[in-house]
This record gives sequence, structure tokens and C-alpha cells, in this order.
Amino acid sequence: MTAAVAGSGDSFGPLSVEAARSLALDDEQSAHPRGQIVVIGCGSLLRGDDAVGPILVRHLWDEGVPDEVTLVDGGTAGMDVAFKMRGARKVVIVDAAATGADPGTIYRVPGEELEDLPAVDGLHMHQFRWDHALAFGRWLLADEYPDDITVYLIEIESTEPGAELTDRVAASMRHVAAMLQTDWAAELDADAR
Amino acid sequence: MSTIDLSVSPLGRVEGDLDVRVTIDDGIVSSAWTTAGMFRGFEMILKGKDPQAGLIVTPRICGICGGSHLYKSAYALDTAWETHLPPNATLIRNIAQACETLQSIPRYFYALFAIDLTNKKYAKSALYDEAVRRFAPYVGTSYQTGVVLSQKPVEVYAMFGGQWPHSSFMVPGGVMCAPTLAEVTRSISILENWNRAWLEGQWLGCSVDRWLENRTWDDVLAWVDENEAQHDSDCGFFIRYCMDVGLDDYGQGVGNYIATGTYFQPDLYENPTIDGRNAALINRSGIYANGEFSEFDHLRVAEDTAHSFYEGSGLLHPWEGVTNPIDPADGAKQDKYSWAKSPRYDVPGHGHIPLEAGPLARRIAAAAPDAAGHQDDDPLFMDILNRIGPSVMTRQLARMHEGPKYYRWTRQWLDDLDLQESFYTKPVEHESGRGFGSTEAARGSLSDWIVIEDGKIENYQVVTPTAWNIGPRDGNGVLGPIEDALVGSPIHDTSDPVELGHVARSFDSCLVCTVHAYDGKTGKELSKFVINGMT
Repeated sequence: MTAAVAGSGDSFGPLSVEAARSLALDDEQSAHPRGQIVVIGCGSLLRGDDAVGPILVRHLWDEGVPDEVTLVDGGTAGMDVAFKMRGARKVVIVDAAATGADPGTIYRVPGEELEDLPAVDGLHMHQFRWDHALAFGRWLLADEYPDDITVYLIEIESTEPGAELTDRVAASMRHVAAMLQTDWAAELDADAR
Repeated sequence: MSTIDLSVSPLGRVEGDLDVRVTIDDGIVSSAWTTAGMFRGFEMILKGKDPQAGLIVTPRICGICGGSHLYKSAYALDTAWETHLPPNATLIRNIAQACETLQSIPRYFYALFAIDLTNKKYAKSALYDEAVRRFAPYVGTSYQTGVVLSQKPVEVYAMFGGQWPHSSFMVPGGVMCAPTLAEVTRSISILENWNRAWLEGQWLGCSVDRWLENRTWDDVLAWVDENEAQHDSDCGFFIRYCMDVGLDDYGQGVGNYIATGTYFQPDLYENPTIDGRNAALINRSGIYANGEFSEFDHLRVAEDTAHSFYEGSGLLHPWEGVTNPIDPADGAKQDKYSWAKSPRYDVPGHGHIPLEAGPLARRIAAAAPDAAGHQDDDPLFMDILNRIGPSVMTRQLARMHEGPKYYRWTRQWLDDLDLQESFYTKPVEHESGRGFGSTEAARGSLSDWIVIEDGKIENYQVVTPTAWNIGPRDGNGVLGPIEDALVGSPIHDTSDPVELGHVARSFDSCLVCTVHAYDGKTGKELSKFVINGMT
């Protein structure tokens, strides 16, 4: 399908917000397929353990993923993460945390926290964390905001520029990756039956 | 006379910490200090690594200019290894760089800059209600469509680069992609729809071709009043609003400019060299200082660290550059106050001076005499500079002027691809060499200098547009461009100094991505939700 486009012929005028959203999220006009299990790793690859999200995505890539799974190296581009959630059947976000707990501690953010997101009018575009990305995504995607979202946070030890993951964080990264693989295997297996 | 110290943070809203301190005398900014609050460690990360590590590391420096970082790091290796670049590879790189900038133009305008136009300071303007209706964050009619559609150009990038912004698909000798006809057709469709919906439909209210007929400031003013669609477009409204609230009056800056240029004419850059670079550029390079043009020469660039948290004081050319950080507390005792270095350019006859980088600098370079047939030759912003001078409005208009221009070029480059031909020529990986690669990120000149010895990176230095603009004072005590631009700004309300925001944001500066890990406050709440305590 093709979304309505303004400016046909010599007439120029702004699109309505609804028409713009429909164009932005149109299948023919998007590089992102819908209906996927989308795994997004957030964080800076240049900053030690803050890279745990992107490194998890690379780890999954190396191990191979089913066609139904889309891996997203969210890096530090918070806003674009929101576009990649469009029409997903399930979204998993993995990000770093520094709460003061033991390094490697894995948190799963509960559902009610995912409802209670920061107000969009208080957001700054490029200081996104997972909660900002979700709040922005809910605004951006409207009806196409996925309803199955899980967020894992891994407690970091060091953000030394250029350093590898520390041992405990690397172990937790593998642990989360294995959980994800188990989860989607079960889900896709149920689909197949 | 009253003097007030004012600290405002963050002004940048982009990718990290920028602290600005100004002094205000009788309602006017009298001096300014810009502090980049974070150490960028990537030069140290790269030393001793494989020469191609820059292709992986530098796109991570920034989540909004990742494609620009990749572009110039690829050219740094192309020149160091003396590669062959098939015309298709040059076209794809051009398209990718332009798409990143086309994304940035509306996203920056609505999400970062125009929000301040709704500040209550302007409530007495007759146009204020309309500004709020259009630009209020998340609910403004133009904000919503502009931001929602800003993703479209980088979907074209992702078509070729696999993903955006953190792709590493440009490599020495070409690009790692083999686009199909279907992908090219889809890219054309995405761009054309975006153009009709946002660029022409919402921003201009006219065709791209009509806008690009404007060659003088008088042309622009006549364009605004030419018809209702143009008058009421976001561009028409923006110009009227700026002149109504005085954004054409301040934020002048140093008045001297640097563009290193970008986009290459494919047949003129099949064998990339540093010496052949200027002549092959489409978006020209150039220096404009003290009212005179001169040719850009990378050997005249040096970085000063007199007021930066690094050992020594400079001035070193980036091939000889060192990045040895010191404790900021020790640095403060030596009057050092920023993690940014101060890039300076040795202008013939004037010594090492600060230059403004960015779209206005590019637009001035485009007005220089002696353009070759393939080069951008556009007098508009030289005329604007001479007529009304640089200002917040001028800088912003220069940025927006590039949308129609880059769209038209990108559309042509997509047509020029020859899918039967190669996109990559395998290079010889020389054990040693020196390279220089550069581009124009949306926010200005972005360059890499690489020294390769024994098959490893011996030195790697990145000079960003943010460093050009936001760098601190140099060894002569001369202010950096943003510091300079802030001086003289009128501050209406010291409890809400929106003017500082306008000036700083008109440079669209971005810093290294802040580590977005958690603070202890949030952590306390989260600690209730541990599902797997690791000890």
C-alpha cells in the first residue's frame, strides 16, 4: 500500500500528523519488517562495560538467530531504536545499569515500570536510556507500539574507554543471551505447532 | 554596573555534556567559557590497533553522526593505502553521507532548535501563538510531522549500509554492499515521498527547484511574500519569526570560516589522494577569514591544548598530535577548563586563528570564485553575509538551505549508479603510510588523520566540528567560536537565558555520547527487582 502524499502537482502544504505517521510507518516505505522478535542492545561500544548491550547483540549474531528474530545494535542512537520497534511481536531491550549493586547483577524491569515512563515532553533527544526510548516509541508509534516488551539491565563494573567487558559482566551477558535463546525457541516452537 | 556569573547546563541536548559559563554585564554577555565535560578516549583506544580499527571505533563516537565518522575514516585509509575507488563506491558513499545529513536537518531543527522559539520570552510577538502551535515539543503540528518523517532518509542509508548510525560498510577501496535494482528503486521512492511530504510540502511550500533559484537575500525576502504556500510554510514562517523576535541580531561568532568539503565527483576521485582532494569535491572546501578566501590545506590545521585537560599546550598538526589526558584538578591550576582541544588554522598572513565550522561555513565556501563545472557554485550566503551578517538566523537558514540542495544531488546519484559495475576494489594494505580523510557532517567539518607504521596505527587523531566550534581559549587567550558568539548576546531574563540556548544550538554542537548508565538514585528503586544476583 502507498500512503497519501502531499504536494501532488503544484500544490504544497503540510501533511496531517496522522498522514505523516502513516507514511513514516508504511510497509513499502520502511526498511524494517514487522512481526519480528526484536532484540535491541543499547550502550556505547567505546566505554567498557557500557558496551554490554551491543556486545550481546554481536554474540547472538555470531551464534545465529532464526529468521523471525531481528537484532538491533542500538548503540547510542536512542531515537532510532524507537523506529525499529514498529509492529514488532515482541521487543527485548538490553542496557547497562550502574546502581551500585554487585557487577554483573541482572535486572528485569517489571511490567508496571514499563507503563510508568517519563513524560515525553520532558525528554531530551540524545540523552536516551531504555525508558526514554520506550516513552518516545510509544509517542512515535502510537497504535504500532508493541505490547510485549522486556527490559534487561546488567550492572556494570567499569566504563574505561576501550576496555573489554569485565569478567562478571561478560558472564551475565552470556547468561541473558542464553535466556533469550531459550525464550524465543519455545515461542517459535509453539508457533510451529 | 552589575556583573552576574551564570552557569547553564546542558545547552547542547546532544550526546554528552556541554557546560557553558558566561558573565553578564548590564544584561549583555561579556565573556564565555565552554567546557566539554567528558574525556574522549578514542585516540588512545586506536593506537597500536589494526589500521582498519578506525572504521569500527569512530562511528561509535557519536550516535547521530556515525555515518559521517565512517565516511572520513574510510577516506583516511584510502589516501594512506592509495586505493582505487570504483565510481559506484563514491556514489554510494555520497548518498549515505547526504542521507545522514538530510535526516539531521529536520530532526535537529524541530527537536533541538525550534523548541526554544516557543519560549515565553516571545509571548508578546504577534506570531507567538503560531510558533507554539507549530513547534511545541511533541504536540506542535510541525514538530510531529518533521520528527516522525526525519527517519526516512536514514532508511535509505540502512538499505545500503545495513543499519544506521553504527554501520561499518564503507571500507578502503569501496563499500561492502551490492544493491539490487529493487533496493535502488525503493530508495528513490522513499526519498521522493519524504521530499514531497516534508521538504517541499511542509518546509518550503514550493518545489526544491524554486527555492534553489534564490541567489540573494532580496530573492529570499521576495520568495517569502511570493504566495501563501511559501509565506505560511515552516521556512517562510521561520524567517518572519526570526526577524520579528530579533534572532537576526546576535550570535555573530568569529566571522571566519572553515569547510573541508564533502561529496566527490566519481570520475575525479578514482584514486583518492590528499593533494587531489580539493579539486574532486562537489561541496567545496575553503577558508574564509578576514574577508578573504584561501584554499583549504590540511597541513595548516593544528590543535592547541593550552586550556584543555591534556599535557602540553600545542600547537601540533594532527599527524604529530598527542592525546595525553591529565587530572582536571591539576589542569584547573593551569587555567585548563575543557576536555575539548582547540583546533586552529594557520591562515596565510594571520597566524593560527579559530574558525567556525558548519553549514554556514560550507555555504560561504560554495560562494568562492573559480568553481569547476562539477562543483557547487552558490552565491546566496555570501550575499546574506554581506547584507545582514552572521547571526542565529543566518546560521540556521544555511543549515536548512542544504536540504533542497542535498536532496537534488542524492536523487541524481541514485540514478547514476550502474548496478552492472563493481562497488569495491581490493586494496593493497601497505605496512606504513599517512592518510587524511574528511567530510562535512551535518554540523561541520569532520576529519581523521592516521599514521600507519609496521602495519599498526601509530597515531590517529579525530578533529570534530564540535571541537572546531566549542573548543576553549587557545594559548593566545583567543576565545573559541561559540564562546565568541555568546559574547554580546542580550539576556532578557537571567532565570531563563533562552538567548544562550539559541546561540549555542545554532552551532548544533554535539559531544561524545554520554555513558548512559544509571545513577544511584534510580538504582535504589531498581534494586527491588533483582532477578539474578551475581556475587
